[in-house]
Amino acid sequence: MREVNTAPVLADRRIAALAALAIGLQVIEAAIPSPVPGIKPGLANVITLVTLVTLGWRAALAVTLLRVVGASLLLGTLLSPGFWLSLTGALAALAVLAPLLPLHPRHLSALGLAVPAAIAHTLGQFLLAWAVIIPHPQLPLLLPPLLLAGLITGVATGILTASVLADPRIQRHVRDPSTNQSG
Amino acid sequence: MMRNLRWGDAVVVALATALVTTSFALGYAPGAGSTHLVVTQAGMDPRHYPLNENRAIRVEGPAGITEIEIQPGRARCLRSPGNQGICEAAGWLERPGDMAVSLPNRLILQVGGVRSDFDSMHY
Repeated sequence: MREVNTAPVLADRRIAALAALAIGLQVIEAAIPSPVPGIKPGLANVITLVTLVTLGWRAALAVTLLRVVGASLLLGTLLSPGFWLSLTGALAALAVLAPLLPLHPRHLSALGLAVPAAIAHTLGQFLLAWAVIIPHPQLPLLLPPLLLAGLITGVATGILTASVLADPRIQRHVRDPSTNQSG
Repeated sequence: MMRNLRWGDAVVVALATALVTTSFALGYAPGAGSTHLVVTQAGMDPRHYPLNENRAIRVEGPAGITEIEIQPGRARCLRSPGNQGICEAAGWLERPGDMAVSLPNRLILQVGGVRSDFDSMHY
């Protein structure tokens, strides 16, 4: 009988640790009152970006899915509209980040990754909200302020991510595109 | 931080800013998305009038005549027999969903645009 090794390897531990950090950030963020519903800093995206440039997009996808499901379990929003919005936004951001990743760090810094991610996150959520949850003809009027918020929070999380990545303990894990594997 | 910035960052931020600016320009331009005025009177089929040219409409109802003025991209209730002026007070109707009502004439004016099935949904 063939032995199947299910012991966690180093990559699994890293993903688990990063997912735990992201869940923590998202739960803390949920406690911060927001002046406008739908606008929040998106600090957990810092973790997604750090995972992306250190461990690759498969790990980033794993961390993101763990974060969305884990945080929704803690917040009690699993399978609610907020959960689907969160999931859609996160996946939209990853879908934009995947093709941009090879440009990092030579042509794009973390800032250049965070801004498109935040905009895609906003757009993905908005499209789901408009198509399924609140199909109201006036809803597109909310989009411009939300996009502006996405731009601002994208710049903020980008700066945060850049300073995290600049830490020498993180820096040695950052992938160089010249030696990049499939992830 | 600054020395880590790349030229691609400037391109990305410029594109994102352009997108935000465009969304504001498109979303908040007067008359954006408004295509026609729907005039609904009790007991009759709704009538649709395009919002693309100047036009005056007179609708006769139980209380008198309601005058509707249409300009490109907007419409308003110009005069209505209601003594409280509620229909006129709605002002220019410019966005899809904007509405003016004359109860004495049993009349609803509403700007139509994109598909509108629900006012809102709550969870």
